[in-house]
Amino acid sequence: MNGELQHLIAMANQIAANLRPAAADDAAAAELVAKHIRLFWARSMKAQIIDYVQTDGTELNQVVKLAVVRVGIGSLTDLTNLEATCQK
Amino acid sequence: MLHYHEPDRDYGTPAPAATANTVSLVVDAVAVSVPEGTSVLRAAALAGINIPKLCASDNLEAFGSCRLCAVQIEGKRGYPASCTTPVEDGMQVSTQTEPVARLRRNIMELYISDHPLDCLTCPANGDCELQDMAGVVGLREVRYGFEGANHLQAEKDESNPYFTFDSSKCIVCSRCVRACEEVQGTFALTIDGRGFDSKVAAGDNESFMDSECVSCGACVQTCPTATLMEKSVIDAGQPEHSVVTTCAYCGVGCSFEAQMQGDQVVRMVPYKGGAANHGHSCVKGRFAFGYATHRDRLRTPMIREAIDQPWQAVSWEEAIAFAADRLRAIQQRHGRESIGGITSSRCTNEETYLVQKLVRAAFGNNNTDTCARVCHSPTGYGLKATLGESAGTQTFDSVMQADVIVVIGANPTDAHPVFASQLRRRLRQGAELIVIDPRRIDLLHTPHRHKALHLPLRPGTNVAMINALAHVVVNEGLEDSAFIASRCETEAYQRWRAFISEPCHSPEALESATGVAADAVREAARAYGRARNGAIYYGLGVTEHSQGSTMVMGIANLALATGNIGREGVGVNPLRGQNNVQGSCDMGSFPHELPGYQHVSDATARGRFEADWGVKIDDEPGLRIPNMFDAAISGSFKGLYVQGEDIAQSDPNTSHVEAALGALECLIVQDIFLNETAKYAHVLLPGSTFLEKNGTFTNAERRINRVRKVMAPLAGKEDWEVTVDLANALGYPMDYSHPAEIMDEIARLTPSFAGVSYAKLDNLGSIQWPCNDAYPEGMPIMHEREFPIGLGKFAITEYVATSERTNRKYPLLLTTGRILSQYNVGAQTRRTANQTWHDEDVIELHPHDAETRGVKDGDWLGISSRAGHTVLRARVNDRMLPGVVYTTFHHPGSGANVITTDSSDWATNCPEYKVTAVQVEKVSQPSSWQQKFKAFDRQQTTLLQKGRRPAPEVSEG
Repeated sequence: MNGELQHLIAMANQIAANLRPAAADDAAAAELVAKHIRLFWARSMKAQIIDYVQTDGTELNQVVKLAVVRVGIGSLTDLTNLEATCQK
Repeated sequence: MLHYHEPDRDYGTPAPAATANTVSLVVDAVAVSVPEGTSVLRAAALAGINIPKLCASDNLEAFGSCRLCAVQIEGKRGYPASCTTPVEDGMQVSTQTEPVARLRRNIMELYISDHPLDCLTCPANGDCELQDMAGVVGLREVRYGFEGANHLQAEKDESNPYFTFDSSKCIVCSRCVRACEEVQGTFALTIDGRGFDSKVAAGDNESFMDSECVSCGACVQTCPTATLMEKSVIDAGQPEHSVVTTCAYCGVGCSFEAQMQGDQVVRMVPYKGGAANHGHSCVKGRFAFGYATHRDRLRTPMIREAIDQPWQAVSWEEAIAFAADRLRAIQQRHGRESIGGITSSRCTNEETYLVQKLVRAAFGNNNTDTCARVCHSPTGYGLKATLGESAGTQTFDSVMQADVIVVIGANPTDAHPVFASQLRRRLRQGAELIVIDPRRIDLLHTPHRHKALHLPLRPGTNVAMINALAHVVVNEGLEDSAFIASRCETEAYQRWRAFISEPCHSPEALESATGVAADAVREAARAYGRARNGAIYYGLGVTEHSQGSTMVMGIANLALATGNIGREGVGVNPLRGQNNVQGSCDMGSFPHELPGYQHVSDATARGRFEADWGVKIDDEPGLRIPNMFDAAISGSFKGLYVQGEDIAQSDPNTSHVEAALGALECLIVQDIFLNETAKYAHVLLPGSTFLEKNGTFTNAERRINRVRKVMAPLAGKEDWEVTVDLANALGYPMDYSHPAEIMDEIARLTPSFAGVSYAKLDNLGSIQWPCNDAYPEGMPIMHEREFPIGLGKFAITEYVATSERTNRKYPLLLTTGRILSQYNVGAQTRRTANQTWHDEDVIELHPHDAETRGVKDGDWLGISSRAGHTVLRARVNDRMLPGVVYTTFHHPGSGANVITTDSSDWATNCPEYKVTAVQVEKVSQPSSWQQKFKAFDRQQTTLLQKGRRPAPEVSEG
């Protein structure tokens, strides 16, 4: 595993650790994490973490695994209302 | 004089506190109405009548010592000093009677009897109030002679590198002493002795350099004679014209008059009309401008194939073509996303805007980022999420209405000194101070301050602390329920209230994490919660943490809960580090946001830019700086254009950064010096200083200030022109003839800048954005009626401890910061006499930690972290908590960032500079990194010399 992927895994886990308390359950937290990654990560970073989940994923926590499958690469949609629907 | 505004005018005494009452009087038959509390001297000045004066100045309280401003007032006995006499209704004042004229001549005669008569060779010749007053009162003879005792042989103090103190010319008017107290707030000067022996003294009769003087220059500026005089004026003579511009150092954004002889800066004088600084400045802005003409300046473009080859000086055309060819070739081989650019918080808004435009439009991706990534990116995230706008809420002047001032993770006396002076003034007036910081910062030593509380928390526990404060506010009924009900989103508030009320957030529960006694936390929360006006100021001690963004949201939560938002005296105030941090963020430097914080996924906003720029813009965010480094090392990122930024010195984990820079196929660096990053470059494009270009900077209070060119660019181009050339060479047309046209484009595409233009800036002096149809002259205080997102939004801020923790191997916590005399990576200030104060970075440690390791002041200490190892000299200092060590990063050879780690803010990747677990031990030689650095530095300097054309001789400052 290269250093870039190691950093991405650490970042994703850290995002989940910080967003999980704002959500009612893992699924809602995963929506928040997915939104964050969609809004702030570059296309190549998303591709690597998606690929990692598909090929291994053992170092990611459960929320991130749930989140990554929701991260699409391509045109971003209007995400403004997403957060409200996901929170407690 | 090329003034762009009315020249400074001195009204003699300050304006009185705001009042509704007006007083009418007659001065020399001129009727004038002024606010109650105005002095007669000021009232006369407002009526256009200049009463002679020496000890009075309108930035100082009236003193009444020189008596030159004596007047006659009908119905009053004698000759009262007009500076200390308040106006009264119906007052009849005569300023030019024969008895008054005689009195003034006698006073001047006494002054001149103990003053050297060397006016023609005096450095103040042409700018001497004593000389002016002698002329005004018609002094024609001095009857007392010079035979008696006098002060004409008094010794000169030339210890300060920037100014002299020639006591023989002192008239003991006390203006310098009062400026040091009232304007700067340092109290370094005093009048020593009595009667004839009275003299101005620095500290306890020390030299200026040995005293507590911070070289702000306020005393020099106010001195009415040549007693305190800039050495640059002594050398060059009086300036013949001046241009108002904006300082290029910290985020206060002081306005200055660049006082010139031709194209040479003779001195920088803080501009009284500057809304951020009101005529005050610090040692950097006022004196440290000599770097602009330093012999190290890059004066010609250079290229090379590889970083172990000598530089080759080439024409601008060759260098730009070389850079463009390299970038295009990389994209052809490795794809559109294999290159990117970094904008600078030291460059102008217009330059920053063009670099991100170049990346998005000519590179065809969003791989643009800025050095704000490593300082205030969490501010952008946190404030936008809670208050709806990525900016501080107040003016600097707002602090004068604050009753409780909370300073978190900031050291304003060193990093934002001019604002610190204003803050100290408010503390002397009675405001209460709460400092939340692992270090005992100098603000706590403010002379004559009132109550102060210091919460010395453990590094890395900010969120625990802010939660504990909010817990007390909620559980002790200190919330502003009316504000919350009318201005905040109910659902988010209720969620937050339930969260923060939980016992786990109480000061008692978090005491073991923060290390701060629960009682002290409760006392602080009560003080802030009960304050009529509570204001929070914060710095990088908030943002540069693994929970930087969470902490910013926690601060916003606290302000919302107590209703401390939306009026004078309150607010959430990020103190920005560099001059244009706010501007570089505003201008779309971040990879996910177009100018004006418009997300790249927002099709409407993106569509506006696409229509204007004539290209398609990627709707996915690009790489942030740390992501670029990772991608470079893994091989997918190959080309980088860096304007005015030194990532090799300023970014964390130096070895990692060096590996990334070394992996690039094409690194283009545009800078004024061969900085550490440039040593890894293939193309070197000479930059221009703030003195050599036109543009704007935006300071920490969202104030857009004009930067005006006072000399030609040393290498022939302003920085924005270089970006334009590069875009054109890449086949993307850019066509601007002046930065004003770039600002017009910014205004066209950025709603918060819609009403900004150079014409308006010249007319108003400065503008605080947003500036649009609703707020045509800008918005000094934000969120007065509503938030940009409608209602304020409380955020859940769970404390998550950083993974960067101490253990037996690394038992201490390192935190890093800045000192007054140096600026950021030191590229500018290290090339000035500011080196006198700080010529090396040191490691400060608590006496307890020193004792257990047998360390004495001055010992060489090896500092090891999980990232690396460096060696610095020890300074034993009890400003820190035991277990905490501190250093600065102003000198590249120090390797401070060799030991900082990759740990970063969860939301923004802002590095966690403030928490690094380390061990220190006595050593006898530099670290291996330092030895390697020295060799590499020598090699690169030699390679530069080989390619350099001979530079003309220039003066240094």
